[in-house]
Amino acid sequence: MDFATFSQFALSGLTTGCIYALVALGFVLCMNVSGVINFAQGEYVMIGGVGAALLAAYGLPLPVAIAGAVAAGALLAVAQERLTLAPVRTAPLFIQVTITLGVAAILRMGAVVVGGRDPLTVPPLTGDGVEEILQAVVPTQTLWVWGMTALLLAASFWLLMRTDLGRAIRACSINLHAARLMGIEAERLTLVVFALSGGTAALAGAVVAPITQANWLAGLEFGLKGFIGAIFGNFRSPGLAVAGGLAIGVVESLAAGYVSSAYKDVVAYGALLIYLLLRGGVFVTGRAALAQSSH
Amino acid sequence: MGQVLRGQQGAAMAAFVAIVAAYPLIFSNAYLIGVGIAAGAMAAGTVGFVLLIGYAHQLALGQAAFCIVGGYVSALATTRWGWDPLVALIAGALLAMLLAYAIGKPILKLRGFILAMASLALQLLLIAVLQEQEYTGKALGIPGVPKFGVFGIRLDSDLAFYYVTWAFVLAAIVVGLNINASRVGRALKAIASSEMAASSVGIDVTRHKVQMFVISAGMASISGSLTVHYLRVMGPHIFDFAYSLNIVTAVIAGGLMSIWGGALGASIFIAIREIVRNAGIPYLESIVMGVLTCFVLIAFPRGFAGLVAGAARRLAGAPAASAAAGASPAPRVEAEAAPAAGALTLSGVSKSFGNLRAVSDVGFAAPAGAITALIGPNGAGKTTLFNLVCGFQPLDGGAVAFAGRDIGTLLPNEIAALGIGRTFQNLQLFGNLTVLENVMCGAHRHTAAGILEVSARLPSVGREEAATRARALECLRFVGLEAAAGRYPSELPFGHQRLVEIARALALKPALLLMDEPASGLNDTETERLADLILAINRLGVTILLIEHDIRLVMGVADHVVVLHHGEKIAEGPPDEVRRDPQVVSAYLGQ
Repeated sequence: MDFATFSQFALSGLTTGCIYALVALGFVLCMNVSGVINFAQGEYVMIGGVGAALLAAYGLPLPVAIAGAVAAGALLAVAQERLTLAPVRTAPLFIQVTITLGVAAILRMGAVVVGGRDPLTVPPLTGDGVEEILQAVVPTQTLWVWGMTALLLAASFWLLMRTDLGRAIRACSINLHAARLMGIEAERLTLVVFALSGGTAALAGAVVAPITQANWLAGLEFGLKGFIGAIFGNFRSPGLAVAGGLAIGVVESLAAGYVSSAYKDVVAYGALLIYLLLRGGVFVTGRAALAQSSH
Repeated sequence: MGQVLRGQQGAAMAAFVAIVAAYPLIFSNAYLIGVGIAAGAMAAGTVGFVLLIGYAHQLALGQAAFCIVGGYVSALATTRWGWDPLVALIAGALLAMLLAYAIGKPILKLRGFILAMASLALQLLLIAVLQEQEYTGKALGIPGVPKFGVFGIRLDSDLAFYYVTWAFVLAAIVVGLNINASRVGRALKAIASSEMAASSVGIDVTRHKVQMFVISAGMASISGSLTVHYLRVMGPHIFDFAYSLNIVTAVIAGGLMSIWGGALGASIFIAIREIVRNAGIPYLESIVMGVLTCFVLIAFPRGFAGLVAGAARRLAGAPAASAAAGASPAPRVEAEAAPAAGALTLSGVSKSFGNLRAVSDVGFAAPAGAITALIGPNGAGKTTLFNLVCGFQPLDGGAVAFAGRDIGTLLPNEIAALGIGRTFQNLQLFGNLTVLENVMCGAHRHTAAGILEVSARLPSVGREEAATRARALECLRFVGLEAAAGRYPSELPFGHQRLVEIARALALKPALLLMDEPASGLNDTETERLADLILAINRLGVTILLIEHDIRLVMGVADHVVVLHHGEKIAEGPPDEVRRDPQVVSAYLGQ
């Protein structure tokens, strides 16, 4: 096992891991302000890719196409919140969660209707070149993905930790009821968080699309892997969720490289199942299990 | 009311059998019978899903995992190993149930969406593994699955398979209805309403959730087997993530709170799917299903069965809210244990939340047969202490002993099963059960019918129910609320709701009763009556530990008073002595 091969697998895993991490962050933030696990989260990545591809093919300059895709992601997320979640705010949570699955199906099929079934291409931001990093050869676009992810994460954490808006979001995550009593408008906050996570997911999708192609099916995979990242963050900690997302990207890429490409899902989903079993069954027993909730 | 419901169920059953029997006679072409088989194959699984989501409130996003298990076992066993299809179907169901137990047992101790995630992980894992296995035909799957058969008799005609499929659905519905009408169904509804209160009457919350998960896994596996014999092929993508979502949608559309909702939802779902497919517009099916999911859940969260039941109720007029009158035995509620068995002893009990020491090194004894009052200003740690005694929080230190036995590590339902009842400061009645059923839940620990007996509705189950009902009515009579037996708690005035909670705790036949501020929210007359009731309960031999702010009530009934302040015990003794204690006075009035 030479270093160059390892580096190649690890770095390409890190790139998809970046997207998983951003999706995981979106899961956690939406969960914290609205109590709902938004399973449509991954679809906004897909919207970003497909949207940018279609707009670029229409002849718009690439930055404009990407901006348009981001706007589409944000607007669709806002529409999702207003049309499908706001009316059922008082319904049992599992109903609200199931609705998000329905929305995901609509977005997915909507993308097929608009963009067709074939994968679409998005031109890279700065040419088709490759870079050599740590003995691995990666497309130049990879640097854009990493940079954009770093920037978005930095901005998100700055927002969470340093601004009134972030404080309000964190307050909601600790105690939604108390936060409402303190005058935090959770409704409006939910809308803002949905718009932000829809927009960032779409941006991630648009920037990664030159490497992976834009595929109407991609949202499912990004959503599920990001969801696993969010579980590792216990749906509470944005930092752990991001780390979880990155780790899944790297681990599944290594598994695909060293074992067989078919086993990358086996590793990701197997790890999730084992993690859940261990967390529930082995380390927590008796009364302590009552005090611990799973999200 | 029980009679009314039974009548409705009977009518529903008759209608169900008539429709199922008549369908192939009316729609006799091969295609439509095939649609009927597909609907039945799905319905066999969705009935179990109602038990899991609607009753146990566990959303399993990857329930199709168990369809995969049943499907592959049936396909492999009938094509490769030469098994009888029925034997393969049963083997698949047993395997699915075993798998569900292995996963559900450890993780269902935790609350929240954990089962949603774990079942989804299982499903995706199964798909990922199976599509790589040479033996199971990789992504192409296993073709050539024979038609279904029963003990060597092949069902060559689709009509016969149609009826066999729906016989499985009928069996699932009967099991579901039996569970619904039993102590298990009542316990599940109690859990759905308040897990805390359910465990306080001795209901094992985890066990009930695991049972429903296992049963619904078995039914899902049967559904998978039947589907495979209909499709005649099994592959890794037949029961994919979208299928999991479809069964969730079907169940919710049909009506989560009704066993019939499962069968209804599957039928509606398959019908709509076929109509959309036949329209021949590409992708329309998926979009329509997505839109339908959102629309149905937003517009009718109670589902189609809820609409039908609501309409039926309006047509029949509201049921009379009166208790079943019968020969009334003398109102008598006896405590289970002999006096002196109910002594509670705390020593060095401590509990911190972060930096806050909520309870610090508290020790006292509530002597058997006496009324002990626990008083103290707000935030003194009284309710936390109750939660420690009842097992809702782990102890940081110290010991709790009941009747000489250490109970410091037991779970709430185990503690209740020892004969410790409790009432809550913020009422925790089961809003989805009648007053009588609420109290019957209290008797849960005195009933024994297990899930198998209940599912088969053995005669012993009926006898036990009757005894439980009589016992609950007796407890209601004791608190003077017999007339409200058939009503729902929310229809009663607040004071009466408190009494229902007391009756529910009495149905447990407690040796020790913990009452958390029973007088809060009551007016003076009601408080006086409450004092009489507390004394009457005590005269039955029940040891009582009471948290109370109403000092007159405490002075009137308590034999022994313990005072907490900032989590520490500052005084203990007879009421008159404690009242004059300077530390107590300063704690209440400030320095």
